[in-house]
Amino acid sequence: MSTAVEAPTVWDIAVDDAPVSLSARGDLVAVAGAEGTVRVLDAAMGAETGSLELPGGSLSVQLAPDAGHLAATGPMGYALWRRTDGRTTVRESGAWSAAAAWADPERVAIASGRRALVLDTDGEELWRTDPAASTVTDLAWMRQGRRLAVAAYGAVHGHERHTPKPVVTYPYVGSHLALAVAPTGRWICSGNQDASIHIWRIRDAGDLTMSGYPEKISRLAFDDSGFWLAADGAPDITVWDFSGKGPEGTAPRSLRCHETITALAWRPGAGGQLASGGDDGTVALWYATAGRAQQRLRPARELTGDGTAVAALAWAGPHLLIAAYRNGRVRAYGVPSRAAL
Amino acid sequence: MTTTAESRDTRVPVTVLTGFLGSGKTTLLNRILTEHHGMRIAVIENEFGEVGIDDALVLDAEEEIFEMNNGCICCTVRGDLIRILGALMRRREKFDHILIETTGLADPAPVAQTFFMDDEIAAQLRLDAIVTLVDTAHVLQHLDEVKPEGVENEAVEQIAFADRVVLNKTDLADEETIGHVIRRVRAINSGVRVIPAQHARIDLQQVLDVGAFDLERVLADDPSFLTDTEHQHDATVTSVGIDLPGELDEDKLNPWLGTLLRTKGVDIFRSKGILAIAGAPKQYVFQGVHMLLDGEFGRDWRDGEERRNRLVFIGRNLDRKELERGFAACLATAGAVA
Repeated sequence: MSTAVEAPTVWDIAVDDAPVSLSARGDLVAVAGAEGTVRVLDAAMGAETGSLELPGGSLSVQLAPDAGHLAATGPMGYALWRRTDGRTTVRESGAWSAAAAWADPERVAIASGRRALVLDTDGEELWRTDPAASTVTDLAWMRQGRRLAVAAYGAVHGHERHTPKPVVTYPYVGSHLALAVAPTGRWICSGNQDASIHIWRIRDAGDLTMSGYPEKISRLAFDDSGFWLAADGAPDITVWDFSGKGPEGTAPRSLRCHETITALAWRPGAGGQLASGGDDGTVALWYATAGRAQQRLRPARELTGDGTAVAALAWAGPHLLIAAYRNGRVRAYGVPSRAAL
Repeated sequence: MTTTAESRDTRVPVTVLTGFLGSGKTTLLNRILTEHHGMRIAVIENEFGEVGIDDALVLDAEEEIFEMNNGCICCTVRGDLIRILGALMRRREKFDHILIETTGLADPAPVAQTFFMDDEIAAQLRLDAIVTLVDTAHVLQHLDEVKPEGVENEAVEQIAFADRVVLNKTDLADEETIGHVIRRVRAINSGVRVIPAQHARIDLQQVLDVGAFDLERVLADDPSFLTDTEHQHDATVTSVGIDLPGELDEDKLNPWLGTLLRTKGVDIFRSKGILAIAGAPKQYVFQGVHMLLDGEFGRDWRDGEERRNRLVFIGRNLDRKELERGFAACLATAGAVA
C-alpha cells in the first residue's frame, strides 16, 4: 500500500537542453544535456551557480567529491570546471568520452576513445592507459582511488597509476556497458550488451554471469553498504544480494513499476532505499531490500513526474532527490524522514 | 490532427549506404544532403571527414564489431553505431532520416544485425534499406577477385545484402558491360532493384524511405524475386527463391527453419518470405539476417486467394534442391502430394 503523502517539490527549474546526466555532491547539483549544455545548481534552491558548454554534446557529468570541480564528457571530448572562479577547460579531442570518475578531489579519470586518461584538476594529464579493444564505455575506481577499472569490449582492465598496461584483466567476451564496484571492495560487476551481468570476485577473479535478461544491461548500481546491486535490463529492476558469499545460486528481488527503466539511484546510507525512473515519466521510491529473494516488490511511493521520460536521478544528500526529465525540467523532491520514504 | 485505424510506424528510418571506395557514396550523400527535400538528416560516416554540410549533423564513427554471446556464432553488432545512435536519439532535435555510410570494406551484416539485436535502437529506429553503390566499369573485377580461404569478398557481400543497387557511372561503361554487371548482380541477389545512374543522380524516393526491412512490405516490391537467373557456375553467392502452393505445418516449419538458420546461418546472408500457415487466417511474414529472424503475422489472406508460400534465401553455397526439398516437407499435406 502506497502512502498518500506527496513528496514536496523543493525546487523546479528548466534547462534549455535534453538532460542526459546528473551529479550531486556536497551542496551542488550538475545537470548535463545531450547538446552539451552543463548547468551547475545550488542543491538547496536550484539557483544556477555556474555553467559551461561542451561542443558536440555531453554524455555524462561528474562533480568531484568535495564539489570543488566538475568533469563533463561527450562524443567529441571533455571539459573541466573549477568552482572557485568558474574557469572552464574544454578539450575537443575528437574522441568519444563516455564517462568520468573522480578518484579523490584532486584526480579524475576520463574515458577518451579507447583509453582512459587520469588528469589533475587543471586538466593536466598525470597518466594514461594503453588503448583498450574498443571505445571505453565506463570507469570506476577501486582500492580507495589507487586502481582504475576500465570497461570496454572483451574485458574490464584494472590499471594502477603510471602503468599503461593493466595490472589485472577480467576477461569476458562481450561489450561491457556499465561498471559497478562494490564499496566493500569485494566485487566488480559489468552490465553487458548481451543482456547479462558479469561478476568477478576481486580477491581471486572468480567469476559468474547472471544471464537471462531480456535486454542489455546499461545501468548498475551498488548501495552504500555494498551488499545490494540494482540493475536494469528488464521492465523489472532486479536487486541482487551481495552480502556473505555473494549472489551465486540466489534469486534477485524484482521491482515492478516501469516498462523501461531510465534511471537508478540508491538513497545515501545503508537503508536499502532506492529511487528509479522510467521512460513513462514515473519516479518510484522503494524499500528495495525488503521481503525475500525472488519476491516481486511494489513501490513504496510514486512521485508525480512531468509526463516526459525521466533522464536521470541523483540524491543530493539523503533528504533531496533530484530528477531530470527529458523535456529539460529538473526537479528536487524533499524526502524529510530519515527512515521512511 | 488526424487519426488512422492502423498504427503508423513513427520510428526514424535509417538508410545504410555501402559500396567500394570510388563507387560514388560521397557524391550520393552530398546529393541527398543538398537536395531540397526539407528533411532534417543526420549522417554517420565511417570514412573520415568527406562530407560537411551545414544543415545536417555529421558524426564520425570508427567501426567496432562486437560478438554477441547468444549462441549464434555469426552474430555480431556494431558497437560504434549503438552508442552513436543512442546519443543521437537523446537529443531534442528530431531527425527525419539517418544515413549510415560504411567504409568500402565494411561487412553489412553487423550493421543490419544491430537493428535486430539492440532493443533500445529497435524501439526508436528502423532499418529502412541497405543501398549499395557500384562503379559499373570496375565492379566486375571486385566481384571476381579471388580471396584467400576464409576471407570474404566484400563486394559480393555488399551486393548480397543490398535492397537497392545503384549502378553508378554508367556513362563510363559500355552497354555490354552494363548488361553483364546487371546479370551478375542478379545472379547474386535476384530480387534486388537495380538503379542505373550517372554521377549518383537518382530519384531519392528510390532509395530513401523505401521500407525494404518493413515486414509489411517484404517481397511486395520484389516482384521479380523468383525470376530464374542466368546460372553462373562460378557464383558461390546466389539467391534461391521458392514458390510453393499449400499450407505449412507450423510444427514442421519451425524446427526446419530453426535448424537451417542455426546450421547454415553463417552462409545465409538474408532471407525473407510470406508464408501460409495451416489454420492461420493471416499471412506470416518474416525477414532475416544470418541467424536472426524477425517475423509476424501480416494481412489476412483474402477470400479466394490461393494459399501459397514465397520465400527467398540469399547466401553462399546454397543447395537449391535441398532447400526446396526441406521446405516442401514442411507442407501440412507433405507426403500426400510428393
